[in-house]
Amino acid sequence: MDPVERLYLDALMEDPEVPARSLRPQLLAGARARRRPAAPTAAWAEPYAGRVAAMDALLASAVDDDWSRIIVEGWTLQELVAHLAAKDGLLAAAVGAPVLGPPIDAVDSLSRTNDVQAYERARSPEQTRRDWRAQADALCRHLAGLPATTPATLDGLEAPVGDHILARCLETWIHTADAAQTAEIRLPDPIARHIHPTADLCARLLPWTMLFSGMDGSGRTLHLTLTGEGGGEWRVPLGVEDSAPGEPDAHITADVKRFCFLLGGRGDPADFPADLEGDLSLARDVLTAAPALSGP
Amino acid sequence: MEAPYDDRLLHQRVVGGDESALGEVYDRLSSLIFGLALRVTRDRVIAEDITQEVFLVFWERPLAYDPERGTLRAWLATIAHRRAVDHVRAEERRRVSALGPRLFEREPVRLEDTVLAADEAQRVRQAVTSLPDGLREAVELAYFGGRTYRQVGEELGVPEGTAKSRIRLALRRLADALAEEEV
Repeated sequence: MDPVERLYLDALMEDPEVPARSLRPQLLAGARARRRPAAPTAAWAEPYAGRVAAMDALLASAVDDDWSRIIVEGWTLQELVAHLAAKDGLLAAAVGAPVLGPPIDAVDSLSRTNDVQAYERARSPEQTRRDWRAQADALCRHLAGLPATTPATLDGLEAPVGDHILARCLETWIHTADAAQTAEIRLPDPIARHIHPTADLCARLLPWTMLFSGMDGSGRTLHLTLTGEGGGEWRVPLGVEDSAPGEPDAHITADVKRFCFLLGGRGDPADFPADLEGDLSLARDVLTAAPALSGP
Repeated sequence: MEAPYDDRLLHQRVVGGDESALGEVYDRLSSLIFGLALRVTRDRVIAEDITQEVFLVFWERPLAYDPERGTLRAWLATIAHRRAVDHVRAEERRRVSALGPRLFEREPVRLEDTVLAADEAQRVRQAVTSLPDGLREAVELAYFGGRTYRQVGEELGVPEGTAKSRIRLALRRLADALAEEEV
């Protein structure tokens, strides 16, 4: 902005003009009608509700061409949104929340994705956006009354619903980033308070990604330093049966967001930017295995 | 110019659907946006509508703002200015057509992404030259010379606090001068 403009705005701020009545209550009511705020939910599900609202903000700017553009997995934006709705619906079914869209037939993600995509292809992109948002918000509302520890089974994996919803958060975040990249829109990061629990889930998944990759990390411990807002320090036991971390065998330092995205299948472990110390081959194994649980 | 940390955080929160962040943006910038719209339209009711709309647009399409490219204040002011100018032009067209058939089509003016039309910017520069020397020098160094308050103080041989209060006094005088010209 040029200096005269900056000077002008600074001068205006020294001479405040105030509307006759506060427009604030009217503004907030109007805002709610234009774009729904994040759905009210349990504190532990807020990172997910926030990513749903961010995806919705991105979709608000999508025009006809954007909806038919391929984003990932050979899916258009509309099909990608249908895929998110499919997986959200499966989690909803697992915890007794309302399931929207076609009746649930298959309970694995891929078949459910096919069913919801087939259903949504017959609808307009705007309807798909509304269906996905309605499913996400119904799930959030239901979770408001549940403890995070409630067990839920998704794709044959039983885990506390609090972890499942963080996985949904990460997937929604990553697909929003995919769509933003295609649209050449810069997507701001979630707030630190929402990144941190997501990063914590990713850290706790490491023994499982090792196991899924056929690597045995039992008895070994990783010191993980994730930098940037929402980051932190973790001591991760690398065997799924290990009850507590021991003395660290290796230390990985990396950017928190890149690390979460690596777990979500974005980025190549071979040239992942990280500082490795201690047992380097163990550290490299951890990174190589990291994307093992990422699916479409 | 990148946006300050506060702008980034508010933007992150608005994108994440946090209504209270919109309320905070409104509290911080609504009087500026209203004042700007009022100066262009000279109609309090229209200026209120424009103010409302500026914040609604930001809420509905928050990704249209990119903190890498400037401050939130400048972004919202640009939208407000554009809408206010659109309103004034629509009013002019309505008035002209009410007067009867036009002999000449007005040249369409290209809408710049700016908070000031060229003649308004000229008025601001003019108002700066009319400031008393001590205030004018401080403003010129800070805004046109890109100096910090401390550097302005050093160059004028006064403490930083004095430099800061001279600039604020200058801003108030400018605001008054610009308001007077409009009456």
